[in-house]
Amino acid sequence: MKPGQFIMVWVPGVGEIPLSLSTIEGRRKSITVKRYGIVSQALLKYKPGDRIFLRGPYGTGFTQTEERNLIIGGGSGMAALRPLINDKSFGMVSAKTGDELLFTHEFKENSIMIMTDDGSSGLKGFPSDYLESVDIDQFAKIYACGPELMLKALYYKLKDARPDAEFSMERIMKCGIGICDSCSIDGRQICVDGPVVRVGEINPDGEFGHQKLDISGRRIEIHL
Amino acid sequence: MIDLGVSIAGIDLENPFVLASGILDENGYTLVEVLRSGASAVVTKSIGLEERKGYIPPVVYELPYGLLNAIGLSNPGIERYSHEISIALREKKPIIGSVFGSTPEEFAHLSRRMEDFGVSAVELNLSCPHVKGYGQEVGSDPNLVRDIVRSVKRKVDVPVFAKLSPNVSDIQAIAEAAIDADGFTLINTVKAMKIDIYARQPVLSNVYGGLSGSAIKPVGIRYVYEIASNFDRPIFGVGGITTAEDAVEYIMAGASAVQVGTAVARVGKRVFNKLISEMRDFMEREGFSKIGDMKGVALRR
Repeated sequence: MKPGQFIMVWVPGVGEIPLSLSTIEGRRKSITVKRYGIVSQALLKYKPGDRIFLRGPYGTGFTQTEERNLIIGGGSGMAALRPLINDKSFGMVSAKTGDELLFTHEFKENSIMIMTDDGSSGLKGFPSDYLESVDIDQFAKIYACGPELMLKALYYKLKDARPDAEFSMERIMKCGIGICDSCSIDGRQICVDGPVVRVGEINPDGEFGHQKLDISGRRIEIHL
Repeated sequence: MIDLGVSIAGIDLENPFVLASGILDENGYTLVEVLRSGASAVVTKSIGLEERKGYIPPVVYELPYGLLNAIGLSNPGIERYSHEISIALREKKPIIGSVFGSTPEEFAHLSRRMEDFGVSAVELNLSCPHVKGYGQEVGSDPNLVRDIVRSVKRKVDVPVFAKLSPNVSDIQAIAEAAIDADGFTLINTVKAMKIDIYARQPVLSNVYGGLSGSAIKPVGIRYVYEIASNFDRPIFGVGGITTAEDAVEYIMAGASAVQVGTAVARVGKRVFNKLISEMRDFMEREGFSKIGDMKGVALRR
């Protein structure tokens, strides 16, 4: 199992959803669940000792480094990034509101910048708004995970960074194993050729940040 | 000089390997990638009149020897799907439009729209649910099959393939009913299910699903052989093809070309180039210069 990979978690009788691995420490693993739909709500009622049904791990992982890394997370995107946090990490942690910030305590005191959409905590705005104030050349790797429009804005700021920044992408998933085409971006299945994607591989003029297919395969625009 | 080209019901294909319906064919950009990966043509997702979300996950279950799926015929409806077809047509390769419906009129209308959108052929998904319920498929009712195929043939000029279900007790009767089709696609998935003994319940939300992959190849071979023996129609062989040898087995059973589905999920889109190179090796070693030279050689006269 590698940071960046995900599992498909089944709550019998309720449904199945993809969840990133937020802890990978030998035999100890975790998923981080936010109240969203019926499956996440059912998972939130689980108690220690309850049996969890899962398949996986699936997908590609992040390229890791022992050196300084920059971790840029939006909302529940922090869950996928959490296993990458080390003593040398600098975090740009963002969320819609202060309540939704995740794992801020895992960064050293002077190594974190917090942003919220509404300014209820930290700086007001998005990570891409504040990237200029960070010297990205000091980082061996840059990672980002969060809403697609957040990643789209970061793409333009990071596309020339070397080595390539890595994004963990997210799209609707049904099968998780490269069959149903629900999670595709520009012909690439995020469940098998992702979720981790190198910024150099992204086509900014394609579907990424513009369009996606919804649950029935209907093509829709991506809006805030 | 090895020639992998084939012609099936008048459609010329640069090689015998076509993407099967239901695999990586929801998004036009993915269809482009599949065609760039060596598939000679693609069959679309099965499209109906109305938008359908499909079933709640779990919709797939992996087995060591195959795959169970009950995606639930999710599709954006025929009018919206035209956009995906227009993206795929940029690769200038044949697109086969798969359609499903409950009545002959629906199948005919959908087929006509597919033709309007530029497909080279239509494929009728007869494994869709029969409105009469009881879990029966449209393809198990010979009278309905006959009416569907005839209605479609009256409406379109492109070749019409009837994709037959293996979940029937008398495939001959169904093939006879579908005899007005220009060809048969054999087979669709085998109805099956999985119970998780630790959850004490079925895994798929729809309970029943379709089994595909290696496990069903002997079933597919049997159906292709049987229909090729008794009917004079070109056949697309499909079910469990992972290697060129699997494809050769279908061709020797009477198939003119084959479709590949589950293997694309297992191996990736590069399976098509793998099949092409394996087929060349096989033909070279065994002394075949054309795919057609292998067609039906296993059939007993």
